[in-house]
Amino acid sequence: MKRILSSVTDGKGFDIGLVVLPLGFLFVMSGLPLVYNVVMSFQEVDMFSLGSFARPFVGFRNYIDLFSQPETRPILFNTALFVVASIGGQFAIGFGLALFFWTNFPGASWLRGLFLVSWVMPGLVVGAIWNWILSGDFGVLNFLLRETGVIDGNIFWRSDPNYSLWAVIIANIWLGTSFNMILLSVGLSGISKDLYEAAELDGANALQRFWTITLPMMRSTIGAIIALGLIFTLQQFDLFAAITSGGPNNTSNVTQYWAWDLSFRQYDFAKGATISVIMIVFVMFASVVYVRSTRHEVRG
Amino acid sequence: MDIRRFAILGTVALGTSLAAFAASAEDVTISVWSLDRDIQPAPNLINDFNKLNTGIKVEYRQIQFDDVVSEAMRAYSTGQAPDIIAVDNPEHALFSSRGAFLDLTDMIAKSSVVKAENYFPGPLASVTWDGKYYGIPKATNTIALYYNKDMFKAKGLDPNKPPQTWDELVETARKLTDPAANVYGLTFSAKANEEGTFQFLPWAQMAGGSYDAINSDGAVKALDVWKRIIDEKLASPDTLTRSQWDSTGTFNSGNAAMAISGPWELDRMIEEAKFDWGVALLPVPEPGAERSSAMGDFNWAVFANTEHPAEAFKVLEYFVSQDNRMFKDFGQLPARSDISIPETGEPLKDAALKVFVEQLKYAKPRGPHPAWPKISKAIQDAIQAALTGQMSSKEALDQAAEKIKAVLG
Repeated sequence: MKRILSSVTDGKGFDIGLVVLPLGFLFVMSGLPLVYNVVMSFQEVDMFSLGSFARPFVGFRNYIDLFSQPETRPILFNTALFVVASIGGQFAIGFGLALFFWTNFPGASWLRGLFLVSWVMPGLVVGAIWNWILSGDFGVLNFLLRETGVIDGNIFWRSDPNYSLWAVIIANIWLGTSFNMILLSVGLSGISKDLYEAAELDGANALQRFWTITLPMMRSTIGAIIALGLIFTLQQFDLFAAITSGGPNNTSNVTQYWAWDLSFRQYDFAKGATISVIMIVFVMFASVVYVRSTRHEVRG
Repeated sequence: MDIRRFAILGTVALGTSLAAFAASAEDVTISVWSLDRDIQPAPNLINDFNKLNTGIKVEYRQIQFDDVVSEAMRAYSTGQAPDIIAVDNPEHALFSSRGAFLDLTDMIAKSSVVKAENYFPGPLASVTWDGKYYGIPKATNTIALYYNKDMFKAKGLDPNKPPQTWDELVETARKLTDPAANVYGLTFSAKANEEGTFQFLPWAQMAGGSYDAINSDGAVKALDVWKRIIDEKLASPDTLTRSQWDSTGTFNSGNAAMAISGPWELDRMIEEAKFDWGVALLPVPEPGAERSSAMGDFNWAVFANTEHPAEAFKVLEYFVSQDNRMFKDFGQLPARSDISIPETGEPLKDAALKVFVEQLKYAKPRGPHPAWPKISKAIQDAIQAALTGQMSSKEALDQAAEKIKAVLG
């Protein structure tokens, strides 16, 4: 006992403690629920066995049942499209804005701050606002498109199967753009001005400077933003609940909304857990890609 | 102690004699969960009950609509369930079928306050499982057809002859639809949640369909009518994503000539609608066809693991004894046919309420079935698949029937 105590004051035990404590914390706070989730996906769970751990084991039946449902494939595809389009849109617009504000015109930082408004608003509020904007009959978006002559008749963004998913994507891009912009602005400001001056002296034009300096120097920032974007889009739920409820006929349904619907509306907790496991696999794959992409990053 | 005595004592409110009652026994605590806010029945009735000092002390906890079932489940499975809970009527069977709710049949048979025959058949069916009563209807509501009399007149239609059949409804909607003025003939909700099922099921039932025969010819015909309404733009395509509340909002603002919705709209309509309107029974497939309607609102139930079943039932008896206040004080319709709705002094509202009370006679519960949400989801998907043209009504309902068959086992 004394040895253990003295090892803490000596340093070695303290080091071990420093590692063990956060690891233990991580295990309890995220490891256990994760394991519980995986276990649940192999069990038969209904609302009355939710409180106990001893539940009938059904092997892969939840997975088989899930993949034999006609809506599964479209929903997985919707999820992929939602994630790629949302991240792409948020990143492209966010980067454009960050570069724009980087030019540092008078009032730039003040304006940039204003953009954060979208980020601080709760998802359900954003959803409600976009619900009105995207409304087919009286929506602002239709009004603008009609007045500018882009469309002849109203587009029923929320209710037309061809547009419903895009309705949520548009709202989500708006929601996430400012966050991308701020992180990218931070990344941009971290690049030394000397590099640009040197490149300019060597005769590099703006596009060349962007490709050879800005992008490589921003690599870790971009990687982090894409990874965070993946997490944020995969947990985006409020917008679906507020704008389309996954409808019409699941055309705007995605895995995260479906998992909620199965667990808390249809009380099929095992299937909800099964979807979560599929999502975990997806996220793990993405994070491996992220870690590999930032391993050889350039440090300025 | 007779419940009627409580009521009498309550109205007389003799503090001194009540104090004597209070001292006579140690208080039993009964906990009640419901989603009622401070202007709604539960907390007020409980306050009144506690003032009677009956030796039963009632504690109230308000829960959110979305949490009712999950909270109750968690509480029940960990042995911390309340004594009494209010659940949405389609969820009732979920609990009663698993023995989570107390069988009240014998207590109701002996009770002089709660009488099964006083209730509308729909609400009563929703608390029934396997021929036994597992709860008491708390309040009820249903849907009917609101119509804008001014628009009827403007289009040369008789404002005292609202459409009676589906064909008439479609025909009337055609006449009333006016894209130039941003007016749709009809508004309702086919949303991808319980609201969609709530609105569609009565149509299927009127034509002889039901949740366990959702692909019957009548149900297919019903969905075809819906599809015609959407395809011809007699109702907004946003019907598929709009809630009943939002849909009826377009009626109130004069952008829809008719609306299918419930009595929960009345107060808002009195305030917002700047035109003359009326309410009619839901149109039926053909003259003389069987009527049906949706049935909403909550039921009371006692959890099976309560330590004080008798006291809990007494609390319920008190609630029931106050049913005649339901409408006057809280604007909710009691689920009973033996209580007449008092006049409100608002002619439009009084006329509308008469129709709703009439419609309530035909209201049918959703289910009852323990896996109702899954059945409902299959129906919602079918409605939306057909309305968006991804499948024919027949194909969509066949698929739904298959899913429902899997659920029913």
